[in-house]
Amino acid sequence: MKPATLSYDALLASVEKLPDDGLAVTRRAALDHLHKHGLPTTRHEDWKYTDLTKIVDIGNQFLDGQWDQPTSQATGDLVNSIRDSIEADWLVMSNGIIDQESIAGLGQTGISVTRLSEADGEMEFSTPLSDLNAALLYDGLRIHVAADAALTRPIGILLVDDATTSPGMSQTRIEIELAASSTASFIEYHASSGSADHYANSVSNLKLGDNSHADYVRIQERDRSHNQTNRLTVGLGRDSRFNHCAFDFGGRLVRNDLTVDIAHPGATAAFDGLYLAGGQQHIDNHTRADHRVGPGISHQEYRGIMTGHARGVWNGKAIVHDGADGTDAEQANHNLLLSDKAEIDAKPELEIYADDVKCSHGTTVGQLDETALFYLRTRGLNEHEAKQILTRAFAQAIVSKSPIDSIHEMLTTKIAERLSGLMQGVEA
Amino acid sequence: MLEINDLKASIGGTEILRGLSLNVSAGEVHAIMGPNGSGKSTLAQVIAGHADYEVSSGTVTYMGENLLDLEPEERAREGIFLGFQYPVEIPGVNNAYLLKAAVNARRKHEGLAEIDAFEFLKLAKEKMALLDMDPKLLNRGVNEGFSGGEKKRNEILQMAMLEPKLAILDETDSGLDIDALRAVAKGVNALRSADRAIVLVTHYQRLLDYVEPDHVHVLSQGRIARSGDKSLALQLEEKGYDWVREAANG
Repeated sequence: MKPATLSYDALLASVEKLPDDGLAVTRRAALDHLHKHGLPTTRHEDWKYTDLTKIVDIGNQFLDGQWDQPTSQATGDLVNSIRDSIEADWLVMSNGIIDQESIAGLGQTGISVTRLSEADGEMEFSTPLSDLNAALLYDGLRIHVAADAALTRPIGILLVDDATTSPGMSQTRIEIELAASSTASFIEYHASSGSADHYANSVSNLKLGDNSHADYVRIQERDRSHNQTNRLTVGLGRDSRFNHCAFDFGGRLVRNDLTVDIAHPGATAAFDGLYLAGGQQHIDNHTRADHRVGPGISHQEYRGIMTGHARGVWNGKAIVHDGADGTDAEQANHNLLLSDKAEIDAKPELEIYADDVKCSHGTTVGQLDETALFYLRTRGLNEHEAKQILTRAFAQAIVSKSPIDSIHEMLTTKIAERLSGLMQGVEA
Repeated sequence: MLEINDLKASIGGTEILRGLSLNVSAGEVHAIMGPNGSGKSTLAQVIAGHADYEVSSGTVTYMGENLLDLEPEERAREGIFLGFQYPVEIPGVNNAYLLKAAVNARRKHEGLAEIDAFEFLKLAKEKMALLDMDPKLLNRGVNEGFSGGEKKRNEILQMAMLEPKLAILDETDSGLDIDALRAVAKGVNALRSADRAIVLVTHYQRLLDYVEPDHVHVLSQGRIARSGDKSLALQLEEKGYDWVREAANG
């Protein structure tokens, strides 16, 4: 079977319709790169479990249609409810279009936000989906945190999509740089509304200067009929610290790539994640940590709870390059399957080319602990309550590890709501 | 309160209880002793309603009701408490949360309003003081990282908060040092009352020095081989379980 592919002519026509701004040259280069290499298929090892056919289909329909920015009331309400529920300075993008007011409204000192089109227009693109992102990007954001600055409020990055009309596709891109010895926290929030098919493709790059510290929480709560691919690439400076936690609650087909590059000694990266899926949801998390020098730490723990026909994919790769002595890499992935039809494909990968390293990985797949269930029932809780408590506790372990304490309560509530939905059996 | 008549129960096709009969009345403390594998823990698990045990014949009546018809949580709400031999660690579930949920499940069943948060905390701290428990354990995960003694004290704390009608303590004394044993015994003695029955399942006589039983039963091969008063426990300590086995077979 011929792999599904995006129409080059339609892509070219769309790229030509975009503004002739600072990004124009890069867009064309990205398009050429994409055209040359194509999109991955399930024959590629990294894409074995995640089939992009549906996404390509939506993309082609979108490219054939009109470039219209939909603005329904529902999306406005969604933006407002998220802004109201989480204390942060919000930067908003709707269907890939930047809300200029949100940039202007940023009040903190030590941070500057500009449009990518205003700057030199340089963008990195190294994978087919980041090619696609760069080629069709309307505009993106560059966030710069000044040296020694310590931001007091989290920076919220709200990526919403309205899919009330026609199949939609959106590209968002954020380039973040923390200068030396600065501290900042980020909440990247993905949400969508509407019943039409939709595909959102987001790319973020985060560069941590020497001795800087970034907390980063990604929350994905898209409509369960919508699709997303997301890539976050992180480069760590000397003695820098990166704490990341990802929560996937929504989406139909979801693929997240997180790449952490440790090229300077003394860097620490902790990245954890939780995915809750039911019905036909497919949530794929691929992580990669490259230890190029030592000492360096990368610790990760992902947990998933799946029911119905949901499928989870976790692939955690740690590569300890030659000479990266003093590396400490840990990977853990734990899954709860609450139905016979739910599935998890878990794969830890360690490649070690250095001598003096400490590496470990562990993966578990299971059901709820029967002894614990019985214990709770002997204390007067019914079976359903006991199951709820145990699944929440399983998920809560990730919340406890998540940075940005101010959103723990919100996350706990969201997890309880989502689990309650998953466990009522409505998403079989 | 509890009448067990000719109870036969098995797990995974192996019969453990082979026609056990026992009557426990309100106000009494019973000790059930016996060697390993005699069926002590099985009896405790069957009364609490563990689904892995299959009852093939016999009856268990509690407060005039057929106990075997009830789900484990219904038994708990009706006032049965099982103190586990191996209390389960449940990371991520707050100890205070479980304690409160358990108290409220019982109260709801009795048509009472949920316990007031302040009153709950006051009560829990009182009981913890009696058991020499570190109040910090209230805010940890249920039994998470607790020492053996802390786990058993936590079981007694749950019992004290739930004020059961019938408490079955499955080898609560095993693995305890003398301080913990005394604390546990103090907790059990504090609960002795005319309208409550306590069944102590134990391998050793040691606990009975601190909690004096009204009746002692010796289990052998799934049946009660011998019953008596507290002197039976002392006799056992002296002569060992072989004495009962021989008596049962003879």
